[in-house]
Amino acid sequence: MIYSPFPMRVVSKRTEAPGVNTLKLEFVKEEDHEFFKANYKTGMFGLYGIFGEGESTFCVASPETRKDYIECTFRQSGRVTSTLANTDAGDIVTFRGPYGNRFPIEQFEGKNLLFIAGGIALPPTRSVIWSCLDQREKYKGVTIVYGARTVADLVYKDELDEWKKRDDVRLVLTVDPGGETPDWQDHVGFVPTILEQAAPSPENTIAVLCGPPIMIKFTLAALEKLGFTAENVYTTLENRMKCGVGKCGRCNVGSVYICKEGPVFTAAEVQAMPQADL
Amino acid sequence: MTRILLRNKLDDCIAAWQKAGFSVLAPVKRHEMSSFGEVRKADEMALDLVLTERTIKDQFFPQTEPLIKYKIGKHQIDSETMTPPEKKRVFFGVRPCDASGLAIDDPLFGWDYKDDYWFGRRENSVIVTIACSQADDFCMCTSVKLSPDSTKGADVMLRPLSDGSGWQVEAMSDRGTALVETISSLLQESSAEAAPVPQVAEKFDVEKVMEWLADKENFESQFWKDIALRCVGCGSCTFLCPTCHCFDIQDEGDTYQGIRRKNWDSCSFALFTMHTSGHNPRNTQSTRWRQRIMHKFNYYQGKFGVNSCTGCGRCTRQCPVDMGITETLQAITNLPR
Repeated sequence: MIYSPFPMRVVSKRTEAPGVNTLKLEFVKEEDHEFFKANYKTGMFGLYGIFGEGESTFCVASPETRKDYIECTFRQSGRVTSTLANTDAGDIVTFRGPYGNRFPIEQFEGKNLLFIAGGIALPPTRSVIWSCLDQREKYKGVTIVYGARTVADLVYKDELDEWKKRDDVRLVLTVDPGGETPDWQDHVGFVPTILEQAAPSPENTIAVLCGPPIMIKFTLAALEKLGFTAENVYTTLENRMKCGVGKCGRCNVGSVYICKEGPVFTAAEVQAMPQADL
Repeated sequence: MTRILLRNKLDDCIAAWQKAGFSVLAPVKRHEMSSFGEVRKADEMALDLVLTERTIKDQFFPQTEPLIKYKIGKHQIDSETMTPPEKKRVFFGVRPCDASGLAIDDPLFGWDYKDDYWFGRRENSVIVTIACSQADDFCMCTSVKLSPDSTKGADVMLRPLSDGSGWQVEAMSDRGTALVETISSLLQESSAEAAPVPQVAEKFDVEKVMEWLADKENFESQFWKDIALRCVGCGSCTFLCPTCHCFDIQDEGDTYQGIRRKNWDSCSFALFTMHTSGHNPRNTQSTRWRQRIMHKFNYYQGKFGVNSCTGCGRCTRQCPVDMGITETLQAITNLPR
């Protein structure tokens, strides 16, 4: 039935930042796992829930190259996210999906990749990052620019260390002015500024940009200054959703249903939407 | 010569359908608002209404629909998916506008993901439309290119005879043919004429409206702010609309058990699009009213090739501040170009 979720078992919980947790979930039923394996592509989202509280929409933060489990990272802010954040290994939660479209990473093959993320928007970006890094030979240079308000707010700290150590990944980390700690070695400044300083070449490069609306706005301007065209910049949009399958009528921006035609769009597609509805 | 069904055969008709395993639903005045309800006798039907205050949509997409029943135990949660009732139903005396509403919503509930709750009911239902013999000041079907005798969405079409004694019967689909078959012994051949279709004046120029809405320049027009000033955001127009389909999914229950439900929701409400962060893409009543009009006369057309309005006029008829779609579309029609 259309609105029936899969039961999922919590394997582990990791606290990423204050109020931000990652749950690793495994499938309870083999048929659900088979369905997920057959359908999941990076960029898609799901509705994560717990009976008695409801469902919330977040991306699948794990890559399409690792489909034995689902990871989701979310900020604790309401009924559902608070309950999910208080689960322990072994607890059963629910997942409905995967829904939506995807990042067309096979079209990115043979190109340089520039990932830019702000704060809690690293999870959707991270799904694409690992999907590409797991097939590293297919892509050229990989640059990751990631910023958060404070050092504490950076998520996936272990993975950031891992990327930093790799010589086939260029990681540019930054925190907002005032958000640094005494031993902070990386950049201090807002993402658009740091991006301009890092000056990645737009030549044969695809940019994947995720972040809060204000960051997207200024980062797009910075990318344009660097010579990127809106067709080569991909982003993922989020709106309130209930059904996830184009029926409940709330996630549309203009005529575009984020849940079905998105959540992944090029910057050119986003610019064509009525901006007042975003 | 056409086949006709006489009014005085209605009781036999109901009995025949019941015998064939159907429940019969017709317009009834049982509650504060007239609606569709199950009938066992012809005199329970309120066939003289211009149209029921509540739409037939309620019977396919109920105000609240249980999806999943759950029980929360100490160590585990049990859940059970609920399915729509499988009862076969005949809807007798549906107005052409309401029947078209069902046909308009079919593609929405079916695109890629099929809503089992909607189609489960659709597939077990037969729609017997009765062409209108009267209209009121709010009717506007002709303005949206439908008519008081439109057969859209009908499995069986009944056209009132001019002497009021019954209806001409025409099957419009296989399902309709099969239904007519079950009452064939009650029908008779007759040359009695059908009553003239009532005149419903065109209230706005839908082509002009669609053209104005399609112009991106107008999305942020002052027009929206002015026209929606008196909207109180009560959502009545959406709940009484035969095509409005927005819903919410909520868990309702106590600490130990409950039901996940699909409940009607409305684009008129501020919370409808509110993000957890507090950001709200449609944060004023005017942006919400714009969404409603754009959805019906621009977005839906682009997605499914049809406008999401049947011209039933309920949005205007029941609006507490006398607003409704008609006035907005009239105003758009009359805007200087």
